[in-house]
Amino acid sequence: MAETGRLEDAVEFFSNPEPRCPCVLLLDVSDSMRGQPMAELNAGLHTFREQLVRDPVASKRVDVAVITFGSVVQVVQNFIPITRFVPPTLTTQGYTHMGAGILLALQQLQSYKKALRELEMDYFRPHVFMITDGEPRDEPEQVLERARKQLEAEERSKGVLFFAIAVEGADVERLRNLVVREPIDLKGRSFQEMIDYLSKSVSALSQSRFVEDAQQPMPPPGTI
Amino acid sequence: MKRDMGTQSGSASVWRMAAASVRGVSHARADQVCQDAHAVGLLPDGVLVAAVADGAGSAALSEVGSALAVDSARVVIAASGTSKLPDATDTEGWREKLASAFSIARAHLEEEAEKRKVDLNALATTLLLAVATPEATVVMQVGDGAIVMGDADGGARALTFPLHGEYANTTVFLTSPDALETAQFGLYPAATHLALFSDGLQRIALDMATGTPFAPFFAPLFRFVANEPEAAAAQEQLTSFLSSPRVQERSDDDITLVLAARLIG
Repeated sequence: MAETGRLEDAVEFFSNPEPRCPCVLLLDVSDSMRGQPMAELNAGLHTFREQLVRDPVASKRVDVAVITFGSVVQVVQNFIPITRFVPPTLTTQGYTHMGAGILLALQQLQSYKKALRELEMDYFRPHVFMITDGEPRDEPEQVLERARKQLEAEERSKGVLFFAIAVEGADVERLRNLVVREPIDLKGRSFQEMIDYLSKSVSALSQSRFVEDAQQPMPPPGTI
Repeated sequence: MKRDMGTQSGSASVWRMAAASVRGVSHARADQVCQDAHAVGLLPDGVLVAAVADGAGSAALSEVGSALAVDSARVVIAASGTSKLPDATDTEGWREKLASAFSIARAHLEEEAEKRKVDLNALATTLLLAVATPEATVVMQVGDGAIVMGDADGGARALTFPLHGEYANTTVFLTSPDALETAQFGLYPAATHLALFSDGLQRIALDMATGTPFAPFFAPLFRFVANEPEAAAAQEQLTSFLSSPRVQERSDDDITLVLAARLIG
């Protein structure tokens, strides 16, 4: 009769590519971030990468992109597997063009999903974490309105999970009017705590399965 | 959670079976219980009924939902008595029989949700059901996971496929509004070997791009269950296989596998 261990040797496994879990870090680099906050954010990106690479599931699935918004918005890092992500060193610049940042993040996600479909890769519902210490500034009202509407449409069609994280200095009330989900208020907490929270959330979103619309980030630290 | 019904005395034991549900790595790490469940039963006249359910990771009481779903489905089929099962060629009769098992299972989930004063989604679970008679194999499935039939030559054929929408981590659950409308159903020839499994195994057991079973995965398992006469030993070895590092490192989710082989002659 078969003895313990023999099944392990006899059964062969099929190797499917891991499903992709797209994650956008949408980061506020406006002037208010100058100095200590920016230094901590840059260090935080390294911690973020290290924590996800240590996670056996997230490390195989998470594709990260980094988009920054100041007076200009730009894709600092296009989608790349987390293991190959080399955290950039960000610098501060100008006002807070948050609306344009949101629009660029949504647009990048659309084209990435299209590319994944063409490659016949399975993927999870993408998520965006927007981290800000302020509020939209020096940006035409119609851009903000367009961002708000487009985000609402994307959330409604389940195209994205968009989470706004408010750190010290952020105007939570204005964020609430701009994004669909309740902003995660981490004011008064350190960047280290914020980054821990971020990597745990991304890690949780990269595994297990969900009842439609039950996808949530972790509860903010201190609430449980 | 398992619900095994022993061989019915008086009927020849024509099936050998092994079934196990084990907790996945991420659930063990988060100290969550196993949210998978299975139930198997041997009915008179050589009829096998097997059910597998996988509770949604995000649902609060999904381990309750999955256990209730497999029990309900098995009991509905067993209670109808083998003499009242449809003929091997009666596709519509079988479809109705299995659909009734699914709607009763769903009704039980609704009652349970009401009793516990929780949202029905808290009990979200998939459900896979197979009934194998000496003449036919009938399957129904809501959600992901799959049912595979083996032949004597080591080949394997998919009877159902893992179903998901745009996103690989969302699927239909028995608690979804359109669960029964989207259920997969199939009537196939009599099976000599049968496997039902939850989504925790599908990425190593199937070519996901085409839904094709990977024969070198199934052939040794089917040989194993056909050649192991001791039910307890079979169960133990299957559990040990599913808990082995080689399997666990390839799957973060709970894993359930039900194997059955019909003895020829």
